[in-house]
Amino acid sequence: MQIQSKGTRAATTLLYVFLILCSLLMLIPFLWMLSASLKYDKDVFVFPIRWIPSDPKWKNYREIWTKIPLGTFIKNSAKLTVIVTFLQLLTSSFAAYAFAKLRFKGRNLLFLGYIATIAMPWQVYMVPQFIMMRAFHLNNTHLAIIFLQAFSAFGVFLMRQFYEGVPDELCEAARIDGMSEYRIWAQIMLPLSAPALSSLTIITFVNTWNDFLGPLLYLTRTELKTVQIGLRMFIGQYSSDYGLIMAASVVALVPVIVVFLSLQKFFVQGVANTGLKG
Amino acid sequence: MPSRKAQIQKQLVAYSFIAPNFLGFAIFTLVPILFAFALAFLNWDGSNPITWAGLSNFKDLLDDDQFKAALRNTIVYAAGTVPLTLVCSLFLAVILNQGVRGKGFFRTVSFFPYIASLVAVAAVWNMIFNPEKGPVNMGLFKLGFEKVPGWAADKNWAMVTIILFSVWKYMGYYMIIYLAGLQGINAELYEAANLDGTNAWQRFRYVTVPQLRPTTFFVLVMLTIQCFKVYDIVYMLTQAGPGTATLVLVYDIYNKAFISWNLGSASAVAMVLFILVLAVTLLQFQGEKKMQ
Amino acid sequence: MRTTKKGIVLMLILALVTGFLFANGVSETATPAASSTTTLKWALWDISSTTYYEPLIKAYEQAHPNVKIEMLDLGSADFMTMLQTQLSGGDSSIDIVTIKDIPGYNNLVKKNLLMNLNAKIASENVDTSLYGGTTDQISVGGNLYGIPFRSDFWILYYNKALFDKAGVAYPSNDMTLAQYDALARRMTSGVGANKVYGAHYHTWRSDVQLFGILDGKHTIVDGEYSFLKPYYEMILNEQKDGICQNYATLKTSSTHYSGVFYNNSVATMNMGSWFIATLIDKIEKGEADCKDWGIVKYPHPEGTASGTTLGTITSLGVSNASKKKDAAFDFVKFVTGPAGAEIIAKTGTIPAIKNDKVISIISSKKGFPTDKASAEALKVTKTYLEMPLHEKAAEIEVVLNQVHDEIMTNNISIDAGLEKMSTQVQKILNK
Repeated sequence: MQIQSKGTRAATTLLYVFLILCSLLMLIPFLWMLSASLKYDKDVFVFPIRWIPSDPKWKNYREIWTKIPLGTFIKNSAKLTVIVTFLQLLTSSFAAYAFAKLRFKGRNLLFLGYIATIAMPWQVYMVPQFIMMRAFHLNNTHLAIIFLQAFSAFGVFLMRQFYEGVPDELCEAARIDGMSEYRIWAQIMLPLSAPALSSLTIITFVNTWNDFLGPLLYLTRTELKTVQIGLRMFIGQYSSDYGLIMAASVVALVPVIVVFLSLQKFFVQGVANTGLKG
Repeated sequence: MPSRKAQIQKQLVAYSFIAPNFLGFAIFTLVPILFAFALAFLNWDGSNPITWAGLSNFKDLLDDDQFKAALRNTIVYAAGTVPLTLVCSLFLAVILNQGVRGKGFFRTVSFFPYIASLVAVAAVWNMIFNPEKGPVNMGLFKLGFEKVPGWAADKNWAMVTIILFSVWKYMGYYMIIYLAGLQGINAELYEAANLDGTNAWQRFRYVTVPQLRPTTFFVLVMLTIQCFKVYDIVYMLTQAGPGTATLVLVYDIYNKAFISWNLGSASAVAMVLFILVLAVTLLQFQGEKKMQ
Repeated sequence: MRTTKKGIVLMLILALVTGFLFANGVSETATPAASSTTTLKWALWDISSTTYYEPLIKAYEQAHPNVKIEMLDLGSADFMTMLQTQLSGGDSSIDIVTIKDIPGYNNLVKKNLLMNLNAKIASENVDTSLYGGTTDQISVGGNLYGIPFRSDFWILYYNKALFDKAGVAYPSNDMTLAQYDALARRMTSGVGANKVYGAHYHTWRSDVQLFGILDGKHTIVDGEYSFLKPYYEMILNEQKDGICQNYATLKTSSTHYSGVFYNNSVATMNMGSWFIATLIDKIEKGEADCKDWGIVKYPHPEGTASGTTLGTITSLGVSNASKKKDAAFDFVKFVTGPAGAEIIAKTGTIPAIKNDKVISIISSKKGFPTDKASAEALKVTKTYLEMPLHEKAAEIEVVLNQVHDEIMTNNISIDAGLEKMSTQVQKILNK
């Protein structure tokens, strides 16, 4: 997908310089996080900023596992994230196909309704939703979080936009061949949407992994809590230990980075050969 | 000519596609939202019996300083963040889609701000932009500036700080989306353009941008909604301060709902927010339709 | 033919989805087999860093073998919000409620979420005079909905080593604000990394505003705030002259007051008595550089007696929807009574019952300063609640915090700020 056939030496160097500067811009907070994770709380916010702590407190990385049940929290976060992501991918792409490629009554209205609900901030319907969930006895269950997160309008929106870019002729040809809509979805649309699915995976993963208010409200038993709540536990009423918070944040970042890196190659896979020429 | 029966079957098939997602969505999200809408016309504190309020919650908003400040700030924030983020993320995606060495590394790095825990990132951003001792202002001093911005502590600069932070944070997220969109562009189109002897900018303008329209539309809508819904970033960076300089609508909703426990009033503000977002989204939909 | 195939596919997918859900989502609220044991659920915060929960529960369970107390940690940062959300809609799973602050207490009472304790107090002969008048301050129309179990009050901490080094006499237990200001100015020295600040004001508004209510002539919910001017002036001048750190810097760098005290960078600091336990703990663990410290009574305005200070109380209440009210109240009675007070005092925390025995337990705790003045400082004569009980307390606090923020960052002049405060609070009061 090159729009630049051949740059001059200068332009390429400029490009690299720019990219490196940008990267620094993105990375500085992380370097600070890493540095802070090895400090005593009293040294974390000292000026001028000491990037390399003189007396690294490696103990922080050990303490975070004992001070709070971080292992349990990570396990819970992982479980919730995987399930929610899977359900999101499945139901969103499924529904999006209909919105993009099928004609049915109320299609536009329904779609608009979906998007409209994205506009509502969660804080607004948090209380009625909580009371309803509690009436279903879903309080203090992981199922509550799954139900809240897995059926989002966002996924449907994202996939639908992507599907819009897939030529209608593909589906038409398949229909003429006698394929049912379900098969078209499974065998044609799904494989084509690897980039969009990757995006949705990453975004859903990150959102669920970083979700704080939902687990805070619904998971009050310690053994059910997630990583983000765990991070807040280091902020007590009268003191906070930012060294521990940073260490735990670094640890919490690892799975997300792993997921991102492994899905990276799907971005490279393009819609290489659509099978339609001209 | 498809028969009546075949037509109904087609509809049913379509509905069956939507069903799994829609059912879950309707029960767990739609119903509470509808109830929240109803709350705008009621008085409730979460525990005592619900009473009728009619339009009084809305009338009170007209005289509500917090609400008025929140409305103004939210619009300013969205007007600043949306265009900047869109341009930056598109730019980044286009660059990274080139045959640049270390592409994977750069891509990962620009995604970092989005995935990291907000607590950590906000803390370090505030440190870096600390008006007295942070590296940014120290650098500006060295460069000779006498008056430096007070950033998060200055009522004229607090919103700028939040906008800058948001752009920085969202860039990577929307870059991912644009990357997917770019991948979906048929390579043959570029080859054809190449044959016509166009330069990079022309290829960008006449092939990339139009092909990216569905993606841009998505980004625009999501970004706008995200900006109107902002809360966490404001909470972490400035706590709506100084004074009400960065108080945004959802912050006001939170205050009304969970500090004053005036759920009716909170819902009224939410309705205003919702109508605002709906209006903007509809405009965007119209624009998109016109382009097609 | 098509329909069947379509139907099967649909069923399969639905089954997949449902199966997944049910395989993973069986309700995890396992109810223990109810024998003759009564289990009471206690909503609180910071289990891992609070030292008195376990001893209290252990002592009670030993004396009452058929009662089990289960702790529910709702987190400190959003405790009152989470509590009220959990209790909304008539939830009966929580029995004992810890009440973290007065505005939250007021909300709970307004929403009928707390049991009226008057009847129980009478029938169980609970002596409310032990609480030094605080129960009067939290009675609503003559009804009491919570009993204090811990009280904290504001004192002045000082770094003995820094005073020794500067050759300045330690602060005394009877200082006017003017004397305190002068002392802070004397103790400020150095530049850069070696700077010692004479005073330190944490970013909470109570650190600055509440000097103004010590003379008893005004309350913080009056609606008229020009009386705060001299105190803002004093502290903003200190800020300007570098006697204390800049509020904007502190706020944006999330600097915690404990850090600067541990680092030997402040000579005196006004803060609540809760810091005593933390300080002792950190010094023992070797995480604080400052080792020699003391406390004295809070500085007071001219004409007010020494020993007058600000206070906050943490209370226990019983959820109105609880199904085990009698058992719950019994536990509340224990924790808030003299026996509970001693257990709490042994952990270095100040209980609500502050008799001589309790004071001597605290002052003789290992790590507590050994000088007589510090022990004296624990004896307060009059406490004003940081936030009095008021219907609109929560809303008013939002405004107070906002304007405080503006004044301290020099975004608005003191006069304009106090006027803004007055106008906005009056609007709230008149609603």
